[in-house]
Amino acid sequence: MPDESLLTAEIRALIGRTTPMGTVEITLRAVRRSLEVYLGAAEAERRTRDLVPGDPVAGYVIEALGSDFNVESDGNGLPSVLPNSLLISNEWQFERALRLGEHLTVASRLADISERFGGKFGYSLDFRTEVQFAAADGEVVARNARSMMQYNAAGNEGAGA
Amino acid sequence: MTVDVSALSEGDELPSLQLQPDLGQVIRYCALIWAFPPFFFDADAARAQGMPGTIVPGPLKVGLIYRAVEEWLGDAGFVRQVRAAHRRPDQTNRPIVVAGRIARLYEEAGARRADLEMAIINEEGQPSVRGLAVVEFREP
Repeated sequence: MPDESLLTAEIRALIGRTTPMGTVEITLRAVRRSLEVYLGAAEAERRTRDLVPGDPVAGYVIEALGSDFNVESDGNGLPSVLPNSLLISNEWQFERALRLGEHLTVASRLADISERFGGKFGYSLDFRTEVQFAAADGEVVARNARSMMQYNAAGNEGAGA
Repeated sequence: MTVDVSALSEGDELPSLQLQPDLGQVIRYCALIWAFPPFFFDADAARAQGMPGTIVPGPLKVGLIYRAVEEWLGDAGFVRQVRAAHRRPDQTNRPIVVAGRIARLYEEAGARRADLEMAIINEEGQPSVRGLAVVEFREP
């Protein structure tokens, strides 16, 4: 466990940083592939057979919309403070149903950083990131958020449960 | 199925959803997000990371909760939020149950909404995920 907090002013200054990533279109292919993952091919075919632009689509598609931007690695811009990382939570939020054919502006935001002392993983830093999807009027209509914990497995021998 | 909104009460349980995510589903998920960490599909790589075998990606599991909520809700509204807090890994090809109950029914922003407590339970009866969902009901 470190002698002092690693949540420095420099690290704290990253909270709220938003990185524009580009635009995405909710395509029939993205909708269908996401449905295939969660519901299987037959149900994906049934649900997409008669879809037309403007129709609401199930929220599963949000997982397909960040894939063009390499969100998992460079895109989220997380500082690497501790050597190990673990997903502790993730979340989908929708202000309204997404619609087939709509174009959304995508941005990655570092929403929060917090630290924990002790516990199963010893000292850790939690980073909450959000990929935000905004409509043409700038309104954020959906978020795909996750919290990653950074910890030091090697420096945690004997830590409590 | 579409739930009868007028008959809902706090404490009501959602129908449980029994699933068994397999390696094919995990690989389709990796393709969907275009990310391929080997421990999701290679058992040796997973064991080298200290896992018992290939595991179901955590982000995939939030979608399994979404599915359970959506199947219960039907055309009665839409799912505003689903959150999954990951407690322990789930191995592929093992049965899981997605369970839920209505924690709160309320009005907000002119709409009728419900908070749902959700969980994914593994075959040992332990929660691998504790979750939350928020649904908004359509006007009758």
